[in-house]
Amino acid sequence: MVDKTVPLETLLAGETATVSRIAGHRHDVHRLEEFGLRGGSRIRMFRTGNPCILALGGGKVCLRCDPQLRILVERAAVTPGGLPEGVQPR
Amino acid sequence: MPHPAPTTAEQVTTVALVGNPNTGKSTLFNALVGVRQHVGNYPGVTVERKAGRMAAGGRALEVIDLPGLYSLAPRSRDEMVACEVLLGEFKGLDRAQAVICVADASNLQRSLYLLSQVLELGLPVVLAVNMIDMAEEHGIEVDLESLRQRLPIPVVAVQANRRLGVEQLKAALSEALEAEAPARMTPFPKPFEREAAQLRGWFEAAPSNGGASFCPGIARRLLLDAGGYLEADMLARERLPDGAGEELAQARARLEQEGCRIPSVETESRYAWVQKVLDGAVRHPETYRPSFSDRVDAVLTHRLWGTLVFALVMVAVFQAVFVGAEPLMEWIEGSREYVGNWIASVVPEGALQSLLQKGVVGGVGAVIVFLPQIVILFLFLAVLEDCGYIARAAYLADRMMARVGLSGKAFIPMLSSFACAVPGIMAARVIEDERDRITTILVAPLLTCSARLPVYALLIAAFVPSWTYLGGLLNLQGLVLAGLYALGIVVAVVAALLLKRTLLRGAAPPFLLELPSYKWPSPRNVAYRVVQRVGQFLRCAGTLIFAVSILVWAALYYPQNPPSAEPLREARHTLETQRENLPPNAPQRARLDDQIAEISREITGEQQRQSILGRLGRVIEPVVRPLGWDWRIGCAVLASLPAREVVVATMGVIYNLGEDVDHDSEDDRNLLQQKMRAAVWEGSGRPIFTVPVALSILVFFALCAQCAATLAVMRQETGTWRWPAFAFGYMTLLAYAGAFVTYQVGTWIAGG
Repeated sequence: MVDKTVPLETLLAGETATVSRIAGHRHDVHRLEEFGLRGGSRIRMFRTGNPCILALGGGKVCLRCDPQLRILVERAAVTPGGLPEGVQPR
Repeated sequence: MPHPAPTTAEQVTTVALVGNPNTGKSTLFNALVGVRQHVGNYPGVTVERKAGRMAAGGRALEVIDLPGLYSLAPRSRDEMVACEVLLGEFKGLDRAQAVICVADASNLQRSLYLLSQVLELGLPVVLAVNMIDMAEEHGIEVDLESLRQRLPIPVVAVQANRRLGVEQLKAALSEALEAEAPARMTPFPKPFEREAAQLRGWFEAAPSNGGASFCPGIARRLLLDAGGYLEADMLARERLPDGAGEELAQARARLEQEGCRIPSVETESRYAWVQKVLDGAVRHPETYRPSFSDRVDAVLTHRLWGTLVFALVMVAVFQAVFVGAEPLMEWIEGSREYVGNWIASVVPEGALQSLLQKGVVGGVGAVIVFLPQIVILFLFLAVLEDCGYIARAAYLADRMMARVGLSGKAFIPMLSSFACAVPGIMAARVIEDERDRITTILVAPLLTCSARLPVYALLIAAFVPSWTYLGGLLNLQGLVLAGLYALGIVVAVVAALLLKRTLLRGAAPPFLLELPSYKWPSPRNVAYRVVQRVGQFLRCAGTLIFAVSILVWAALYYPQNPPSAEPLREARHTLETQRENLPPNAPQRARLDDQIAEISREITGEQQRQSILGRLGRVIEPVVRPLGWDWRIGCAVLASLPAREVVVATMGVIYNLGEDVDHDSEDDRNLLQQKMRAAVWEGSGRPIFTVPVALSILVFFALCAQCAATLAVMRQETGTWRWPAFAFGYMTLLAYAGAFVTYQVGTWIAGG
């Protein structure tokens, strides 16, 4: 099977994805998870860059990661307009 | 000082308001208690404690608005306080007896994560689901009935901004207080529960424990306590029996072996529970619909347009702070003079009059003058914060601030510091990371505040030649002023970088900031916030600044009647007798009056020179000599310890101009400038004030920490004198070094 995960920063503005894995120091990962960003979370890239802005669970968050923290995501199927919620990755 | 706790005789029940940030928690708090609220700090820490009274079902309730938090795993001071209040571990405060958990309907997942932690505390809990209207705008549907069936606690829909559902919430709360606490539910796997139960049993049975009891849930929190904050704090307070640290470490190691990774076991277990509760109860939209906030953010977070709007907003705030405050400041200045004169007319001349007029009214008044600026600044910040813009400003500023090693959240404190470092340091509370917060607090006073302007204006106008360049486009005086601003910024940046690499080094956690949905600012929220913050400023001004003002006054006043002023006094006496003997409308009278006034000024000058402060000035003269200063400048700098702008008035006194130098009045300023130009080194005819000397004073004041208010607020915000002492030390050293280099290089250029 082909690994379809890509780093978060490769997402383009407006693209929707599902978080597959967050790798980094366990306390940092835990903090992101408690904030609601965790494996299985559906996100939409609102503004790219570092910091970036993500649409997450009905709101938006600004996030700046250092190189030690990697967020891997799986792009949702490309659909016009992008579907942030309720999209099953193919 | 412990907060005046309600007496048990009154039977007041304490209810804690818990919720994620931006869930409308404070709005709900205001709706619940109205004006019957008071704000203070938790004893010993600088976390704001908001509490208020309300009645529900015939009960008197004390509602505490805990700081907004995402989790009970403490990572910042705010979370630590909230966690300890809920666990009953906060020293000097009783444990909360019930909890209202506020949830954002748009983000129930995260809100229920926190709820699941709260449910383990064994307290009556009510869930208030707020902002359902906002959720509907996002196309999110919430089925409250399903939630009620699946949760063991009352669930109430509220709309805090319109005060809807408040009565239902109170009714549900009073019911929950009557009923048994909900059955404790735990989403954790069995091995974890076993270890938690064992641990609590071990705590209570430990011989060194002395029979103290522990709240249910405390063992779980200690096991999961990722950063070790709670454990460290409880061990430091000897709240845990001997050997608890080892016991905890062993329990955690056993759990790891059984596959319960700490801390991820918590998120896994809790989110699994949340998923079960929310499954089918919340429906997310099928397609993405941009919300109002998304459309606004398309502009306001845009790299070009957003930055442009950001710059405009900042310019507008600054215009308002500097221009808008002007008439009010003049009015306060006027009242200060009026009160001073009134005191002079009521209290007989002597030490008491001088103390009241110059020590109390003069000293504290010098700080109160900045109140209009501070109120306007707080007002703008409260409006921007309440409508949601501040978070966008932090996003836009983050790229820039990250280069200095800080985050976007440090931007507002820094910006505020250009008006006054006191509100800037207070605004640093929003920075969760303690190292970032301390760094921000330590460098904020380097930015040019408005109290430096009178000093700059006086010295630049007097000693910097008004040469123009590029056909009048640039003026040397303006360039020097801009240079002083730039100096403050550059030194602040370097200091922040150095501090973050040395004293306050540490791995930066990922920067996470929620961008709340935009909304119209609520006048009620804004008003409460402004009143609370201004109150804090005044309390600060009323205590330490008061004390320092009196100290400096006394040093400048005593000892009275030095013998060296005796000949002057005799001369004045002679002149006065001469005047007595003249007929009432003799033409010589006016000339005599002038002479008497001149001699009186000289007496005051001599008095000040012989005062404790004046003598100190002479003692430190060898130290300030390399800066090109004579003892009089050194003395004025010492006297300006409580507030830098005082240096103008003190120089006026020391250079025999009389005490009431009005630095706003053109004539007085010119007179002082003339006097200063005429001042010469004692024993030689060399003028004291040359361009290098003026520049060295300017650089000194750009970098020094001559402001009691700033140091006092630093003490208040860091909880220790260590940081203000450090700030004073490093800034004074910097100022000295800067002034030294300026003078030496300046003299070398001028001489060579």
